[in-house]
Amino acid sequence: MNLEEVSPGQEVVITELRGKEDILKKVEAMGLRRGKRVHLLQKVGRNLLLKLDNSRVVISRDLARAIEVQ
Amino acid sequence: MKTITVAFAGNPNVGKTSLLNHLAGTNLKVGNWPGATVEKKEGRLSFMGQDIVLVDLPGVYTLEPISEDEWIASNFLTEGKPDLVVNVIETPNMERDLLLTVELLERDIPMVLVLNMWDEAQKLGIEVDTERLSELLGVRVVKTNGRTGEGVKAILPNILEVIALREKPKPLRYGRELEEFLEKVRERPEETKAELIRKLLQSPKFETLRAHIKRTLGKNPYDLIKDERYAVAHGLYREVVHRRALHSRDITDALDKVLLHPYFGVPLFLLVMFLLFKVAFDFSLPFMDWLDSFVNGFLASLFFVLFSYFGVDEWVQRFVSEALVGGVGFVLTFLPLIAVIYFLLALLEFSGYLPRVAFLMDRFMHRLGLHGKSLIPLLLGFGCNVPAIVATRTLETKRDKLLVIAMIPFISCPARLVVFSFFALIFFKNPALVIFSLYLLGILVALLTAVFLRKTAFSGQLYHFVMELPPYRLPTLRLLFRIVWVYVKDFLYRAGTLIFAASVLIWLLLNLPPGVKNPSESVAAGIGKAILPMLKPMGIEDWRVSTSLIPAFLAREIVLGSMGTIYAVELKGEEKSFEPLKALEEQVVAFGFALKDALVNVLKPLPSAFEVEEGHEGLRRVVAGSMSPASAFAFMVFLLLYTSCLGTVAVIWRETGKVFASLFLLYSLVLGWLLGVLAYRLLSIWSF
Repeated sequence: MNLEEVSPGQEVVITELRGKEDILKKVEAMGLRRGKRVHLLQKVGRNLLLKLDNSRVVISRDLARAIEVQ
Repeated sequence: MKTITVAFAGNPNVGKTSLLNHLAGTNLKVGNWPGATVEKKEGRLSFMGQDIVLVDLPGVYTLEPISEDEWIASNFLTEGKPDLVVNVIETPNMERDLLLTVELLERDIPMVLVLNMWDEAQKLGIEVDTERLSELLGVRVVKTNGRTGEGVKAILPNILEVIALREKPKPLRYGRELEEFLEKVRERPEETKAELIRKLLQSPKFETLRAHIKRTLGKNPYDLIKDERYAVAHGLYREVVHRRALHSRDITDALDKVLLHPYFGVPLFLLVMFLLFKVAFDFSLPFMDWLDSFVNGFLASLFFVLFSYFGVDEWVQRFVSEALVGGVGFVLTFLPLIAVIYFLLALLEFSGYLPRVAFLMDRFMHRLGLHGKSLIPLLLGFGCNVPAIVATRTLETKRDKLLVIAMIPFISCPARLVVFSFFALIFFKNPALVIFSLYLLGILVALLTAVFLRKTAFSGQLYHFVMELPPYRLPTLRLLFRIVWVYVKDFLYRAGTLIFAASVLIWLLLNLPPGVKNPSESVAAGIGKAILPMLKPMGIEDWRVSTSLIPAFLAREIVLGSMGTIYAVELKGEEKSFEPLKALEEQVVAFGFALKDALVNVLKPLPSAFEVEEGHEGLRRVVAGSMSPASAFAFMVFLLLYTSCLGTVAVIWRETGKVFASLFLLYSLVLGWLLGVLAYRLLSIWSF
């Protein structure tokens, strides 16, 4: 399952980041890495609001599709 | 002694700006990184006899060149040769922040580590063993609370000691395999780990080594290095951070439940926007009026009286009192508005609401190809284009910034409303409808401009959305005032000088050759007559209308006053007796009233910025005879679209450079002319 398919309120663990785009390097540096637990807070429009550790991160659906979760 | 350069590096939202403010105070300067639209902050100070320059690097999560920000930060660390880097960490998010620390340590630059927002970490039950951290990295660690400034004092002495004692961080140790590969690419003993990594990843010399790594380890060299960096960062985190389970209620979660609510979030944003708009314009308007009367009524008259007393030539008298003093006054009238807008924007930004606006409004704005945040400058444009363009500094990418700057000047402002209501009342039975359609036309042209730019100059760029929402924090007033001062200084220096110079030039056009008594003899009238043929397709046949466009370049509403002068129906202020002391007293009283009005305006429920005063009675009659409804409408369309506003052109120039500013001015002029002509033709067909 990828992160876009998760529904708000769920907590999942990242298993893999797919895709070659540079922006994924930033996403990863922001803490969305393999093995991290993220909590999906909201889906608004084309964006997802996530909580991981003590930070809140917004990413768009196209990026969420590249993140495999469990 | 040599000046020490200190680079401040850290993730976005870690409070670098607040720290810099505490250290450099009002000596902070803003500007742009060379060749980039990314903002650069720099503070100069002297500490214990040592000159120090503090350079704020763009907030980044990694030094890998993903966008302009990372490139600038990384480039400054190599090319700018800082003597020391202060790595600021947001303690509650230390695990994430340590990745950048590891990448900085690869550069082998002396370092001081600042654990900021220490207080927030404590509330969350996060304890950091700073002694162990310092020992593991060979780096001094300072704990701070950037909001209050607690602990900030220790930063400077530590910087000086590290430099005096030539302290260097301990070399990083990655896994055995990677270390061996890095040694293979070493050509000189002094190469830093960062250089070795760059060579291992990029140099064509090591193509076979890269293939070897991929074959033996099953992953490409970049992933190997990335994994090693994360491993070191994570190991450090595990070693020094201890968490206690604490159940404190998080204010940010509670506020987000309301402010980011799926249904109430947008209405609440509109309410915030309305208040911002109202406070900004209604509060500053009385001060702007007061400054105008203080400079043009009081100072100009004072100079006039002084010069008359010393018997200076009249033309010189008028040049000094009208052009020089008037030019300064023109710059000053923008100040209250700019200062208040900066204050409110800084409040929204530092409190953490601004990034949330981007998240909230992105669902509407991305359809236009714009970032969610760009809605704020666009809405401010309805109040005044100048601070609206200034507000685009909150946009992160150059593309968004230029797109929005190219849209704002078409958003109709109250200055245009003054002109529209004058002409619409004279020529049309339903003036409100005419004015409304002009506002809509402006919005339409703004949107089409965005579409046009996206299809041409800014095409082919992938547009993802990635950003962090920082916790809500209440900034201190001292921080806000200092930030406002830094930006106001920058505005005065860069846009102010341009506005001043251009307003002096326009005065000269109207008053040269020396001794002109009547505007019809001036250079301006000559130009007005020369450009008249170009306005003929809009049905404008009177040189007095075309001449009025020259002073109107200062600001559109001036078109009415200057038409009055040129048509010679409104004589400029008759000479009254001027007593300096009495006049000064009046100015002080007037300032009191301005202060009162500002406070009263803010309390009134509806914005008063759109209240239009009627006037120019004599001019109405003359103009009604010299234009047709169709040509009046065409003239309004022309003035709506053509950037006839010195303040706007000056800030575009400041924000984007002279090439973009000149091209844009030309674009708006051509577009205004084309649509003006089109409007005239269409209306003429309907036999107006």
